[in-house]
Amino acid sequence: MSAVWSVVRAAVRRRRFQTLAIALVVLFSSATAVAALALLAASSEPFDRVFAEQRSAHVTVTFDAALASDADVAATAGLEGVSAAAGPFGQIATVLELPGEHGVQLPVTIAGRDDPGGPVDRVDLREGRWAEAPGEIVLSSAFADQGSSASPFQVGTDLTASDGTGFTVVGFASSFGRTAGAWVTADQMAAMGPTATQMLYRLTEHETDADIDEALAAITAAVPADAFTGAQSYLALKEDVSAELGIFLVLLTVFGILGLAVAVLIVANVVGGAVVSGLRHIGILKALGFTPRQVVLVYLAMVSLPALAGAAIGTVLGHLLATGVMADTFRDAGLGSPTVSPWADAAAFAGMPLLVVLAALAPALRAHRLSAAEAISAGGAPRSGRGLRVQRRLSGTPLPRSVSLGLGLPFARPGRTALTAAAVVLGVTTATFTAGLAAFATEVDAMIQRHEAAEVEVLGGPGGPAAESGTALGDRETEALLAGMEDVSNVTANLRMPVSALGFAKTPTLWFIRGDSSDMGFDEQLVDGRWLGAPGEAVVSSKLVHQNGVEPGDEITLELDGRTATVSVVGVVMGSGTGTVYTDWGILTGLAPDVEGLGQPIVYEVALESGTDPAAFLAAVEDEGLFGQTTRQSDATGIAVVALATAFALMLGAVAALGVFNTVALDARERRRDLAMLKSIGMTPRQVEAMMVTSMAALGVIGGLAGIGLGVLAHRQVMRLAAAASQIDMPDSLLRTWNAPLLVLLALAGLAIAVAGAYLPARRAARLTIAEALRSE
Amino acid sequence: MRPPRARPYVDGMNDATDPPPVLVELDRLRKEYGDTTALDDVSLTIRRGEALAVMGPSGSGKSTMLNMIAGLDRPTSGTVTVDGKEIGGLDETGRSLFRRRTISMIFQFFNLLDDLTVLDNVALAAQLAGARAPQARKRALDLLDELGIADRRDLYPATLSGGERQRAAVARALVNRPALLLADEPTGALDSQAGEQVMDLLIDLNQIGQTLLIVTHDPNLAVRCAGRIVEFADGRIVGERTLERAS
Ligand SMILES: Nc1ncnc2c1ncn2[C@@H]1O[C@H](COP(=O)(O)OP(=O)(O)OP(=O)(O)O)[C@@H](O)[C@H]1O
Ligand SMILES: [Mg+2]
Repeated sequence: MSAVWSVVRAAVRRRRFQTLAIALVVLFSSATAVAALALLAASSEPFDRVFAEQRSAHVTVTFDAALASDADVAATAGLEGVSAAAGPFGQIATVLELPGEHGVQLPVTIAGRDDPGGPVDRVDLREGRWAEAPGEIVLSSAFADQGSSASPFQVGTDLTASDGTGFTVVGFASSFGRTAGAWVTADQMAAMGPTATQMLYRLTEHETDADIDEALAAITAAVPADAFTGAQSYLALKEDVSAELGIFLVLLTVFGILGLAVAVLIVANVVGGAVVSGLRHIGILKALGFTPRQVVLVYLAMVSLPALAGAAIGTVLGHLLATGVMADTFRDAGLGSPTVSPWADAAAFAGMPLLVVLAALAPALRAHRLSAAEAISAGGAPRSGRGLRVQRRLSGTPLPRSVSLGLGLPFARPGRTALTAAAVVLGVTTATFTAGLAAFATEVDAMIQRHEAAEVEVLGGPGGPAAESGTALGDRETEALLAGMEDVSNVTANLRMPVSALGFAKTPTLWFIRGDSSDMGFDEQLVDGRWLGAPGEAVVSSKLVHQNGVEPGDEITLELDGRTATVSVVGVVMGSGTGTVYTDWGILTGLAPDVEGLGQPIVYEVALESGTDPAAFLAAVEDEGLFGQTTRQSDATGIAVVALATAFALMLGAVAALGVFNTVALDARERRRDLAMLKSIGMTPRQVEAMMVTSMAALGVIGGLAGIGLGVLAHRQVMRLAAAASQIDMPDSLLRTWNAPLLVLLALAGLAIAVAGAYLPARRAARLTIAEALRSE
Repeated sequence: MRPPRARPYVDGMNDATDPPPVLVELDRLRKEYGDTTALDDVSLTIRRGEALAVMGPSGSGKSTMLNMIAGLDRPTSGTVTVDGKEIGGLDETGRSLFRRRTISMIFQFFNLLDDLTVLDNVALAAQLAGARAPQARKRALDLLDELGIADRRDLYPATLSGGERQRAAVARALVNRPALLLADEPTGALDSQAGEQVMDLLIDLNQIGQTLLIVTHDPNLAVRCAGRIVEFADGRIVGERTLERAS
C-alpha cells in the first residue's frame, strides 16, 4: 500500500497541470451541480414550499366589523376542522397618498397586526422593521419595486390615508397569501375604526374546493347572521401563482438539467483523459511489479485527490452562489427565499467525486487488463484508422501546414473529441437558449403591455384616482381632453371589470373598449381569428380557450345585475394569463346603462405620434390634473430570470471552456515529443500555438452551429411547454425572436469557448523546451 | 544501397588550397543544469564540408552541445555562431526560422510523427519551410527514392523497421538542404546491419559536401564517417584527432 501511496504522491506532484485541471473542473462542476440541484429542488413545488414556509392561510375570511365582535370572530378559531388561526385583525380599505405630489395614490387594504409571525401567515419582512407604534406602516413589498431607488415608496416615506391619518413607512413585507397590502399596529387600526375584521385559518381538510366550502359554512354559521362578507381560498391563489410562474419554473428546470449534463460530461472527459494519458505510466508500473489492483488504485487515487479538493471548494462556492442568485430571483418572483437544501450540497459534494471515480474506473479497468507492453506502447499518440486517413487528406490541402495538422488532431482521439464537442455544444445551447429567453422576455413584455402601440395609459372615470381626491373630470371630458392634446394620435377608453359569463366556472374580466382599437397592439397578440371589427363581437384571451373551450364562432352570454348581453367570439389573443373577454363599449351600455354608477375606473390608452417622448407627454398629462403612467413597465421577474439565465450561461460557458482547456492540455502532454520534434524541424512557437488552437477551433465552430440548432429547438419547446403550463397560447412570431446578427454572435460563442479554453495550454505547448521534451522517456 | 543520384545539398566544395569557410564556431560554451555542469567552456570550430564525430562517456555533455548548436536550448554563457549568425541573439521564432534554413537533426529514436505517412513526415519539413503541398511531396518522394525507401512512402512509421525509419528521418532532415546535419547517435537504436546502412548513407552525404556532426558511442562509426574526432569527458573537450579518411 505504501508503494501505491508514494507513486500516487509523485504522480500528483509531477502532473501538476493535470491535477490542477481536474481540481478546477470538479470545482466548477460541483458549483454548477449545487446550483442546478438547488434550482431543481426550489422550482419543483414552489407554491407548496413557500406556502408551508409562511404557514399561509388555507382560507382568509373577512367579517363585517359592525355585525361581528372580535370575540365572535376569535371564537371561530376553536371550530372543528380549524388547525390553526390568526386574528382577528382589523381591516380597512383606503387610499394612501404621497403628500405634495399629485397622482401617486395607492389603493390598499390595511390590516392591524402587532406581529408578522404567529401560527398562520408568517409575513416575510424584507426591509426595515415591523410597525411598533401608531403612525408607523409596513407596505407590501409589491410596492417597493425591488432594488430600485426610483420607487416613490421607501423606508422613511410619509403617507396620508384617505381619512387624514399620517404614516411613516418603516418596512416592506410580503405575505404570500396576499392577506393585506399594508400593516399597522392593532392599536393604530382600532383608532382608525376598522370596517372589517380579518381572520386567517389553516384547515385540517383542505384538498378540494368542497373542503374549503365546508369549513366556510361552519365559520359562517358560528358568527352572527350576515357578518361573513368574503373569503379567499388558497386554491384560487395557487392557480393564479402557478399560471404566473409556470413559464419560469420550466425555464429554471431546464437550466438545472443543462447544468448537470455539462458538469457530468466535462468530468467524464477530464478524468477519462487523465487515465488514458497515463497508460504508459501504467505499463511501467506493471513492469515494476505492481499488481493490476494496485494500478487501478493508483489511478483512482490520483484523480480522486484533486477531485475531493475541487468538490469541497466548489460545493461551498456553489452554495453561496445559488443562495445569492436564487434568493434574489425567487423573492423578486414572489416565491419567498428558498434555501439551498443540504441535500443539494451533499449530493454535489459526494456525487462529483463519485462521478470522477466512475469516469476513471472504465479506463482504469482497461489498463488493468492491458499487459505491460501493450500499455507502454498505447501511451504515445494514438493511432486510429479514421484519424490517419483524415491527416493524410489534410496534408495535401493548400492550408498552412500548422492549420492542417491542427485540424487533424481531433480525429486522433475521437472519444475525447466527442466529449469535448458535447460540452461546447451544451455551452452554446445554453447561451442560445438564454439569448432567446432574453429576447423573448422583452418581446413578450412589449406584446402584452402593447407599449409600442399604446405608450401611455391614463386612469380616470368615477373609480379613478382623481375621483377619490375630488378633482374628477367626467369620462367623456377626460377622453376629449386627451384626444385634444398635442402629439396624440389615438385614444381609446376601456373599462375593465369582472362580469359573469354563462357557463364559465370562473368569472372572466371584461374589457369594454370605446374608440378605434384596431391599432392599439392587440392584433399582434392574435393567435386565432381576428381582432374586433363590428359591434357585438368579442375576442377572448387564450386562457379561456383552455379553461372553457371557447372558440371563434362561439357565443358568450354575459350577465350583470340581471341584464344579459350576447357577444360572438371572432378571435383569440395570447393575453397575460388571465381569463379576459374584449368587447365593445356598446355591450357595456347595454348591460349597465348608468356606466358612471358602476364606480369603476376607466383606463384611457393613448397612442402618441411617432417620435413623441412619453415622459414629456406624461408630464403634460399630470399638468392637466390627470394620473398617467407609461405602459413600458419593467418586469422584475423577467429581469431576474434573464439575469439568472445569463449567470448560468456564463458559468456553463466557462465549464465548457475548461473542458477544452483540459483536452488541449492532455493532447499537448501526450504529444510532447511530437511537438518538440516539430519545433526542431522549424515550427515556430506561433505555429505550434496556431496548430493547437486550430485543433479546437473547428470543434468550436461545429459545436457552435449544433448548439445553436439545439438551443433554438430547446427554446421553442420550452416556450411551448411554459405556455402550456400557464395555459396560454403564443403567436408564432414570438417564437421567431432570432435575427441574423444574434445568430452570428452565438456561432462565435462556440469559437470563443474553444479558443479561450485552448489558448493557455497552446501557449504552454508552444513554449516547451525542445531539448528537454526530446530527452524525456 | 544505391548511391545518391542528385547532389542538391552541396553547399560549397572543398577547394584544394584554401581551408573551407567556418560553418560553426563555439566560443567558451558553458551550460549548467542546477549543480550539474553539462558543458564546461567548450570551444570548437567546424568547417563546411567537414564530418566531425563527437565521442565520450555517457553524461559527458555531447547531446547538450548538439542541442546548443541547433538552438534547442540556451547556453548559460558563451556563444554559438552558425553560418555567420550568433544564435544566442535570436528569440524562439528566430531560432525556428534559422533551423528551417540551416540545420537538421536526426535522433537515436527517429522522432517521426506516428500519425503521418512516411511521405507526409518528410514533406512536412518542406511545407513548414514554405513549400506548397505538391512540391513538398515531390521533393520528399525524390529523396525517399534516393534513400531507397520510396516503396515505403505510404506506410506509417510504426510499421517500418528501425533502419527504414532512420532513413525516413534522414530524408526529412535533408529535404530543406540544410547547411549542417546533426546526428545524435543515429545508429544507437539499430542492429549492426541497419546501422551499417545508415552509416554508409552518412558517408555518401558527406562525400557530396554535406557538413556533418555525429555524436556516437561507436568508434567504428566515428572512424568510418568522420574526418575528425573530438573526445568529451565531464563537459570538456579532452582530445581531438584528425583522420586520413579512405575515400
Ligand atoms: N535538461 C536537463 N536537465 C538536467 N540535467 C541535464 C539536462 N540535460 C542534460 N543534463 C545533464 O547534463 C549532463 C550531460 O548530458 P548529455 O545528455 O549532454 O550527455 P551525453 O554525453 O549526451 O550522454 P549520453 O551519451 O548518455 O547520451 C548529464 O549529467 C545530464 O544529466
Ligand atoms: Mg546523449
